[in-house]
Amino acid sequence: MTSPLALDFVMEKMKEYGTVEQVRQNRIRITTTPGNVFNAIKDVLGPIGCDRLVTISTVDNGTTFGLIYNFIGPHRTVVSVAIEIPRENPEVMSMSGLLPPAGIYERQIHDLFGIVFLGHPGLKRIILNEDWPPDEFPLRKDWKKNPDTNYGGVKEGWS
Amino acid sequence: MPEVTVPIGPHHPALKEPVNFKVIADGEKIVRLEIDLSYNHRGIEKAAEQRDFIRVLPLLERVCGICSHSHSTAFAKGIEEIMQVDLPPRALYIRTIIAELERMHSHLLWLGVAAHEIGFNTLFMWTWRDREVVQDTLEEMSGNRVHYGMNEVGGVRCDLAPHQVAAALERLPHLEERIARYVEMVNDQQTLLLRFKGVGKLTREEVLKYGAVGPTARASGVDYDVRRDDPYLAYGDIPWNVVTDTNGDVYGRTCVRIGELRESAGIVRYCLENLPEGPVRVNAPKTAPEGEIFSRYEAPRGELAHFIRTNGTNKVERVDIRTPTLANWTSVAMCLVNQNLADIPVIVAAIDPCLSCTSRITLISSPGGKPGVVTFDELRKRSRIRYEGRWP
Repeated sequence: MTSPLALDFVMEKMKEYGTVEQVRQNRIRITTTPGNVFNAIKDVLGPIGCDRLVTISTVDNGTTFGLIYNFIGPHRTVVSVAIEIPRENPEVMSMSGLLPPAGIYERQIHDLFGIVFLGHPGLKRIILNEDWPPDEFPLRKDWKKNPDTNYGGVKEGWS
Repeated sequence: MPEVTVPIGPHHPALKEPVNFKVIADGEKIVRLEIDLSYNHRGIEKAAEQRDFIRVLPLLERVCGICSHSHSTAFAKGIEEIMQVDLPPRALYIRTIIAELERMHSHLLWLGVAAHEIGFNTLFMWTWRDREVVQDTLEEMSGNRVHYGMNEVGGVRCDLAPHQVAAALERLPHLEERIARYVEMVNDQQTLLLRFKGVGKLTREEVLKYGAVGPTARASGVDYDVRRDDPYLAYGDIPWNVVTDTNGDVYGRTCVRIGELRESAGIVRYCLENLPEGPVRVNAPKTAPEGEIFSRYEAPRGELAHFIRTNGTNKVERVDIRTPTLANWTSVAMCLVNQNLADIPVIVAAIDPCLSCTSRITLISSPGGKPGVVTFDELRKRSRIRYEGRWP
């Protein structure tokens, strides 16, 4: 266990990617763009010294989707890399090559939000059942249950 | 010999919850496997967006039947931080007591399941009997065996009376004695050693690479524990140690869990003996200001993370739950490669998988097309019509 990360240190290393802020004790957040995210994460794993991905959090902001990659390292400070991707074309580069645990989180996000991770080796269904309609993403804010659609389970009149 | 695909699950005697593995095997050796978790999705994250803070806690408690207190505490402490509500120390201590009792019952349950997977049913019966002592304590404190419902935004639901504290302290020596027996057993019991040693090995580098959490990671010498790294509740004031091991196999994971049982008993004893006086809750506001929080919690199975975003109303904008089991699957898929088919149950059981936690969304639709709750009578009626073709 080493001492917590200092904001100045992270700011100096990461300022080329976007804004760096300390949201609270033990939490540092870097806001960047989808184009820079791969290099930013590479630097978080390198000079910043993080060694594990905690999770990829996803939010629906209305016009965009927010993806937040949360990392932790021996310094015990959560370093978050936040990006926003457009709703019309929800595509971002997959991190599964760089970070194997990202693979399963990306499959989950793909299932629930319909975000496409380019270069993912097997972006298959993992959370939703197999008869769920392929073009409906239940965690999007504008998703409504369609009464005429079968979402799986026991069908009407089946006995 | 050609490769063969062996389907295991979703219904299988060795699995306690539905999951499907497509195991590609070459003879007895596993080449790789694919996992399908889509049998238990209940829509909790979506449902949480539609309930106010008072109603969302009981819902989140039902994410998991074993670590129910973990989910509601992770959420409540996140929301309290956004609201800038400071909890009275007595509330923090009571939350800690429940959290550690929950860890003890979860680890005892796991030890029983793991023993059962290797055919050692005596140990299974012993640990489950001892687990009842923990369950009785929890029931006496909260009124419930499984979903304790102790958390409220701003504190805990009920106080601990002096006789409840005394009764819990009276039960502890028996538990501590049994835990000491298990510590002894794991060192010299041949059945355990033969089936656990060298099975499902993960090195320190692999754990970091594949992102395993909790006892699985600590068994390989990765000493991440949120209770120490990012102290919450009363963990900052309590003397306790992070348990690690260097074996990295199922045996190491057993040692870590048994060590944690001992530490948890110590934490519970310390909290009960040093329970601060005072109120157990404060009045929290009904709405939370706009904000975002990444709330971490050390659940029995590993690090649990709730990402919460609020929008100034009495409902959350988004709760994103990352359960420890989801983080552990990648490492399981990796450490099964080149192992024997017969070791699948014990290696899978070694991460203590909790599938209801991991997959959380689906819609229930009754034959009438209306979503809702099916009563017992309705269920009976349907089964009679299905199997006998008549009602009544």
